[in-house]
Amino acid sequence: MKKKLCSFVAVVMTCALALGGCASATPAESKSSAGSAASGAAAGAAKSDVKLTYYSMWNETEPQGQTITQAVDAFKAKTGITVDVNWQGRDIRKTLQPALDGGEEIDLFDEDLDRVNGTWGKYLLNLEDYAKKSYDTTSSKPFTDVVSSKLIDLARSLGPDGKLSTIPYQPSSFLVMYNKDIFSKAGITSVPKTWDEWLADCAKIKAAGKTPITEDDAYIASLFGYHMARLIGKDKTVAMVTNKKIDDPAVLTFAQQWKDMYDKGYISKNASGNIYPAGQQEIANGSVAMYLNGTWLPNEIKGSAPADFNWGTFAYPAIGKDGDGTDSNQFGAQCFGINKDTKHPAEAFQFIVWMTTGEWDTKLAENSIGVPMANDATWPKQLTEAKAAFDATKTRYPWAVGMENDSDINAKIKTNFALLVSGKLDAKGFADAMKK
Amino acid sequence: MKTTKNKAMIILFLAPALILYLFVFLYPTTRTFIMSFFKVEGVTDALSSWKFDGFDNFKTLFGTPLFVSAMKNIGLIWLVGGISVLLISLLFGVILTSGVLGKSFLRSVIYLPNVISAVAMGTMWINYVYNPDFGLFNSFLKLIGQDGLAKTQWTGPELVFWSMLIAYCFGMVGYHMLIWMSGIERIPVDFFEAAKLEGANSFQRFSKITLPLLKGVCRTNIVLWTVSTMSFFVWSQLFSPVNLSENTVTPMSYMYELVFGASSSALTARNSGAGAAIGVILVIIVVVVFTLTQRIVRHDDVEL
Repeated sequence: MKKKLCSFVAVVMTCALALGGCASATPAESKSSAGSAASGAAAGAAKSDVKLTYYSMWNETEPQGQTITQAVDAFKAKTGITVDVNWQGRDIRKTLQPALDGGEEIDLFDEDLDRVNGTWGKYLLNLEDYAKKSYDTTSSKPFTDVVSSKLIDLARSLGPDGKLSTIPYQPSSFLVMYNKDIFSKAGITSVPKTWDEWLADCAKIKAAGKTPITEDDAYIASLFGYHMARLIGKDKTVAMVTNKKIDDPAVLTFAQQWKDMYDKGYISKNASGNIYPAGQQEIANGSVAMYLNGTWLPNEIKGSAPADFNWGTFAYPAIGKDGDGTDSNQFGAQCFGINKDTKHPAEAFQFIVWMTTGEWDTKLAENSIGVPMANDATWPKQLTEAKAAFDATKTRYPWAVGMENDSDINAKIKTNFALLVSGKLDAKGFADAMKK
Repeated sequence: MKTTKNKAMIILFLAPALILYLFVFLYPTTRTFIMSFFKVEGVTDALSSWKFDGFDNFKTLFGTPLFVSAMKNIGLIWLVGGISVLLISLLFGVILTSGVLGKSFLRSVIYLPNVISAVAMGTMWINYVYNPDFGLFNSFLKLIGQDGLAKTQWTGPELVFWSMLIAYCFGMVGYHMLIWMSGIERIPVDFFEAAKLEGANSFQRFSKITLPLLKGVCRTNIVLWTVSTMSFFVWSQLFSPVNLSENTVTPMSYMYELVFGASSSALTARNSGAGAAIGVILVIIVVVVFTLTQRIVRHDDVEL
């Protein structure tokens, strides 16, 4: 009898564990259901007794996550609207779509502007009407009038049917990030605008006892893409990837110019073996002057770089007569999107406005050494020069000028460039290897 | 009669596990298998959006240089890594069961890398062993006056695969050593004592007694090594953390990118159908290796 009783208890406990596991697997669902039941708000006006579920691309411990946590509390105090943040981190790339397909009640989410519009476009609500309205933090002006029109236009161009369906924030641009103190020490008074000026400045930096530039496996494709676009223009560069043929004669020119950089000792001796983030640590420790990277770099290496690191930024120099000038650069942003099935679109948009204008837009930029969205916001001092380069940008490059759109091409660039800048491959060898 | 009375209890005990197995394992497995014959973009896309394309996913994969590199890499990891790990772990296992002093301590030390997270281990290897400026390898080479060799880029394209393999194998030795040890310790001491009395030396005792009686354990080790190798993912990610490289890509890391997209470029196309096909290919490999191992390393009459 005792044996049977024990067996019965064991079975009950097993079932309880299993069922308990199932129940705890969907906490967000139950919470958001409660929120929707309490609401029933009409699309037009925001209500205060609402709970929003926000799938966030950040981790709670990142500067962005910490700022968003504070902003959510302030938003609740101001409007009464609760925002339940589900911190997904970069795993959102794999968790969001299954959650949306599974019918989980998610009101808003965020990720890269290209990804949200391109990959998750079918889940997005058209935001054109909400963006035309004015809000508390927009000084009675339409929302779109107080934030970067360049990014709003970009979001609209990427949106489903060309409609504004996401609101960008945390913008970034891909530029040459450099150590201004090394430039000063080397006697460089103005940033290079052409390849000849670039080479002259590299010589000065080397003479000053520093390494001019570094690279690592994560950003080699971007460097190749930028350089090719400066030689033959964006369209021809992207077309090589589309046609899966990296065979333009200018590939040899690229290889000759970077072989020359290697021969002269202008690129870090570790560049061929640098695994991300090893390259940027060479910037942080002050041994290397330049690195083609995003405006997020000061935030990424603030833990290892000196607090008074003197940041400068300029656009990758112009190179060939058939290529693009310094007014062509990659730029983009993270962005918020609202689930088309949300019951609280007005409240969700109100939260987006809260995050992208006024106090919290500024705080987010300050805390993450990032770029603000609002036109009247001040950029962090580390990015003062980045603002000038961003404002001067007229043509947008896609990420890596398309070189990462194809994994095979990206992998080929990584291997062959590393061999080129370690002397294992000559210029012709590089061009031939890229054609295969 | 007793069995009949216990039927209800058997069903009651089996039911939770069986139900969970059906939902958590069998359903996704079947879905993945079917998905591998369809063109599917997102892994949770509705069935209505799936388009049947026969074996196209498999054909596409074998026509993709990066997948071919991934298969070559996994083949080398399995073969070279497998031989190295199983031999070294067997050697350690034999030494530690031979009555060596400090057996428990040494066993713990060799097993320790398994307790530490692979991410921490990978970071340690990349930053403190392979770093060209202050890493262990180049510092040691400098110390012994090999200045030329001390400039080696251990994580450059020519060596990164082998560096990754060494780092991975380092952590796996302890795990397989424990399995060998459990097998060796099951062999009755009488066998060795009798052999000793007959004048057999250490090598003879090892080759004539230990090895033949470890056939079952050997099979277990090969199957476990195959399963863990096929799911080789974390180390590939650690040695190419942002996007895929020819020298470190494995089927799992390539599958991850196909299914969830690239982390740096949002424009890289997703293809969950091809991702599922990779899963099917890996399963086939494991089953084939398991079957071959069963046939080649047979149980025989001296098995304990």
